[in-house]
Formats: sequence, structure tokens, C-alpha cells
Amino acid sequence: MDERDAGQEALEPDVYPAPRGLWQRVRRSEVWRSAFRHPQLDTPRGRALQSFSNLFLHVYPVKVPGRVLRFRYSWRLGYILAVLFAILYLTGIYLMFFYTPSVASAYGDMQQLRTGIGFGQLVRNVHRWSAHLMVLVVVLHLARVFFAGAYKRPRQFNWVLGVGLLVATLGLSFSGYLLPWDQLSYWAVTVGTNLVNYVPAVGRILRDLLLGGAQIGQATLLRFYALHVVVLPVALTVLLALHVWRVRKDGFAVRQPTGGAFAEQATELPPPPVPVAAGGAGGGTGDGGQRVRLLGVVDRQSVTAEERRVDDTVFTWPHLLVRHVVVGLATSAVVLTLGVAFAAPLRGLANPELTPEPSKAPWYFVGLQELLSHVDPLVAGVLIPTGTILGLALLPYLDRNPATEARSRKVAVLLFATLLAVATVLTVVGTFFRGPGWRFVPPWRHLYVEL
Amino acid sequence: MKLNRRKLLRRGWELGGTLLGVSLGWTAFEALRPLAGTGAGGRIALGDPADFKPGTATYFTEGRLWLVNANGHYFALSQRCPHLGCRVPFCKSSGRFECPCHGSVFDIGGEYVQGPAPRGMDRFDLRLDNGTLVVDTGTLVPGPDHGKQDFLTPPLGPPCITRS
Repeated sequence: MDERDAGQEALEPDVYPAPRGLWQRVRRSEVWRSAFRHPQLDTPRGRALQSFSNLFLHVYPVKVPGRVLRFRYSWRLGYILAVLFAILYLTGIYLMFFYTPSVASAYGDMQQLRTGIGFGQLVRNVHRWSAHLMVLVVVLHLARVFFAGAYKRPRQFNWVLGVGLLVATLGLSFSGYLLPWDQLSYWAVTVGTNLVNYVPAVGRILRDLLLGGAQIGQATLLRFYALHVVVLPVALTVLLALHVWRVRKDGFAVRQPTGGAFAEQATELPPPPVPVAAGGAGGGTGDGGQRVRLLGVVDRQSVTAEERRVDDTVFTWPHLLVRHVVVGLATSAVVLTLGVAFAAPLRGLANPELTPEPSKAPWYFVGLQELLSHVDPLVAGVLIPTGTILGLALLPYLDRNPATEARSRKVAVLLFATLLAVATVLTVVGTFFRGPGWRFVPPWRHLYVEL
Repeated sequence: MKLNRRKLLRRGWELGGTLLGVSLGWTAFEALRPLAGTGAGGRIALGDPADFKPGTATYFTEGRLWLVNANGHYFALSQRCPHLGCRVPFCKSSGRFECPCHGSVFDIGGEYVQGPAPRGMDRFDLRLDNGTLVVDTGTLVPGPDHGKQDFLTPPLGPPCITRS
């Protein structure tokens, strides 16, 4: 039976004799076909039908440009983020079964999770490492998109959505930080929330609104829990759905046909069709030697022509999907390995009357904490972070240079690289080189780090 | 501008939507705003002033505050550092408040001496009521600005936060 016959058989199973074997009988049953309306077919039409009719495959387009398959195209950073978010969802649901957001029991629940719940410690470790990695990868993703110039027309709004996702990711990670209710979480959140105090006029109101009182307590824990398990995951899911939808609508990431660090191999496109004269009712030979057939004569005004060159598109299933499965498995393996190798810390019960030395904000805010020890609080705590987020969101509308190649936008690349470098240096210094009293302590003398 | 039926309806929807959004936002704000008087926000009797000797700082857990006697001047200082909210312990050896988080130092009166803190330690309202010091932990007054050092004296001894 050739491929075409096999496709027809699978598409119209009723007209063909019943297959052999139990598995095939199940797949031919009415119950099965009512759920999976199109069988697995190794034909272009079959793959298209599968993509259209499958809820999960329908997230993807049926075909994608061939360049999407190359790993260096995007380093799969966006997809890795989606996988990490899925891992956080699953592990978070597991943890919710064993956690009560109460200052009286939260810490005990964490201890119970370590010692009395099957895989509790491992799941918590994986959850924590996935959260850390998600913050790191979202920054890398942002940097890659910037350096590839993929925030420019028509992708401006998707860049804004991406900045929203960055903020939501930071909020998710920060709100989860308090939940263990140990000394590390209590004081890290104390330091982090006090940054809001420096907002002129409304800083105190904002901070009290976030904490549910003047100090961190039961109200704070409950608010952070609600934000962490409902508000922010829903917000992030909606933003992510819009983001992915825009990626499809905007034709995936930007094409870089020429040289440079992010250059792609130029896609070999077929030459544009050569206009030929009608060779009569029976057909004829054009200037390019092609035989054409005249199918009909229509009014010139009635024809809507779209000049669109044929691209080297490939089927998402299996080409892209297989790559995504591999990257998903690799990401899962990395967080699992980290979870097995490094346990999430749990210090003593939160004690509002004993500040540990040193007290550091979560690592992604330590750069701000470091900056606060050098610069005026209004500048370091308010103007710089707010300005950075607003500047990033407005970047596509402020940058009027249409070029996407790095070599044609040296000023923008230099500015962004400087911003990244400064943020990295501040974070590294604050994380690894600061000890009691925020004094400079080289990590080889003593390491004051707990992630 | 001519207002026809279609425009009137559109304006109505826009106005209704705006009012709904504002009222929802205001309701959420009112619901989430912490109520005054909850938590550590009441009045606490601290004791006879004579019980607190000059140059001493006494901690009161229920108010999370330090009562200090700075050369006969009494202050109820919030334990929170005005920099980033860490608890500021009193260092007996130096006779100063030293923040362990970022190294801010305050004198016995809670006035700024050094470090990244934007001002001195915040103070609660303190009154003498029938011979007893009573603090109102619901009224917090921002600490004195940099430069005000009425109670600054040389450190009595070594600091508690040692330089590594």
C-alpha cells in the first residue's frame, strides 16, 4: 500500500476493513475517534489536520519557517521559560497540599515537608531552583531579543508584553520567598519591601498595602500567598498566552539575513515567478522555458494578487515539536540535578527581634541593595528601577533606528550592554562580596550566600 | 460636535466602564488597606523615668522599640532601621545603635552618625502620664535629618559589628 492509500485509509477508516490487533481496534473505535478526530498520519494533509484538531498542538502553527529549527535562532530561551513555568506549576500544586499560610504553622509545614512528606524536600528544591532559573533565563531572553533587534516593528507590543512577563516573574519569585517563614525569608522580604518606602509621598502607603500592616506578619504572609498562588500565576499565564500568540502573528523572531553575531544563514528562496504571456487556450512556453496553462480569462480588476515569496517552511510536527521535547527534557534534567545536589535552605523560625548578619534581599534584588549603599535612596530605590522598567517598556517606541543588526545600532547595543554589565557587577558584589554590616568580604575568606 | 445616538451610547459605555474601574480599584484599596490600630499600634506604659539610667537603652518587645535616656532626654525609638527596615540592636560596648544589615550607626538619641540610612531612627510619641512614661506606638515620627547630632559623643568602646 503506498503512502497515499495509507493516508486515505486512516482518514476514512469506515470504508476500509477492520485492522488487526487490539491497539488498532481501539484506535478505530468510535470512542477513540470521538476524542481524537484525526488519526496520526505521515502525510502533509494528515499532519495539518492533526495540528488543527489537537488542543495542544494547536498552540503551534502547522508550519514554521525552517530557520526556527536552528538552535542558535533563539537558543530556545522562550521555550525554556515556558517549561520552567510548567515545572513551577506542577511542583507548586504539590507543595500546596502540605502548606498552610499561617505564621503559626508555615515553618512547621516546611520542616514536615523536609522530613515527613514523600519527595517533599526534592519537590521544594526543584521548585526553588526552577524559580531562580526562571528569573535568570527571563533576563537572558530579554537580552537576546534586544541584541537581535527583535523588539522593533512589528514586534513592539510583544516586547512590552515581555517586559510585563519579566515584572510578573520577579513578583512571583519574590512573593514565594516569604512563604517558608524562616529567618532568611523574613529578613530578605523585610529588606525587599522597604525599598518601596523610598517612593515619594505614597511609599509608606504602598508598603503598608503590600504588607497588610506596619510590619511583616500574618496579613503579609496571607497576601504574599494569595499573590503567589493565584494572582501572579494567572497574570503570568494570560501574558504568556498573549506573548506566544504575538510571536506567531509577528512571524516568529526577526530574520537576520546578513553578517553579525546573530546572523542567520540566508534562506534560499526560489526565484520570483517570471511573468509570461498567455500562450493560447492550450498552453504555451514562457520566457523562462516553463510550460503554462491558461485556465481562464478574468477581468484584471477582479484579481487580488499578493506578492509573497515561497518560504522554506517545515511542519511543526514533528520537526519543531521533537526539538522542544528534547529541550524540555534537558531543562527538567537540569533542575532535577540542581534539586538533588543543592537543597533549598531553611534557617531558624522567623524572629522579628533578631536580624541576621548580613541580611540580603533575594539575589535578583541584591543589585539594588548594593546600589542603595552607594547612591541616594530616592535615586537607587525608586528612580533607577522604575526608570529601567519604563525605559525597557518604551524602548521600541523610543528607538527609531529601523536596523536590527548589531553593527548598525552600536549606540543602543553599547548602552544596553553597559546596563547589563553594571547590573551584573552590582548583583555579584552584593551576593558574594558582602558580609556583616555590608562590609566588603571576599568570598574566598567567607561566603555569605544562601539562595 | 453633533451627538447622535451611536455616540451617546458609546460615551455612556465609556463613562460606565471608567466608573466601574475606579469603584473597583477604590474598593480593593479600602479592603486591602491595613486598619489603623491593628498590630503594634496601641499605647504602652513603659515605667518610671527614674528606672532608666542615662546612657542606657531598654528594649520593649510588645512595642518593638527602644526606650533610651540620652542625657536626661527620653526617646522611644523604633527598632527598625530607616534604611531598609532591619532591626537595629544597641551596642553596649560602643554605646551606639549599629545596624547589622548595612552598617548604619546612630547615637544614643537615635541620631544619624554614619552609614547609608537616610535619617536618624524613627521615634514614637512619648509622654509622661502621672509619673509614668507612656508611648503611643500608633504615632511614628520620622527621625532627625543628617547633621543633627545633639547627643553625639565619642564611642565608649569598640563597635559590635567588627570590620572583617
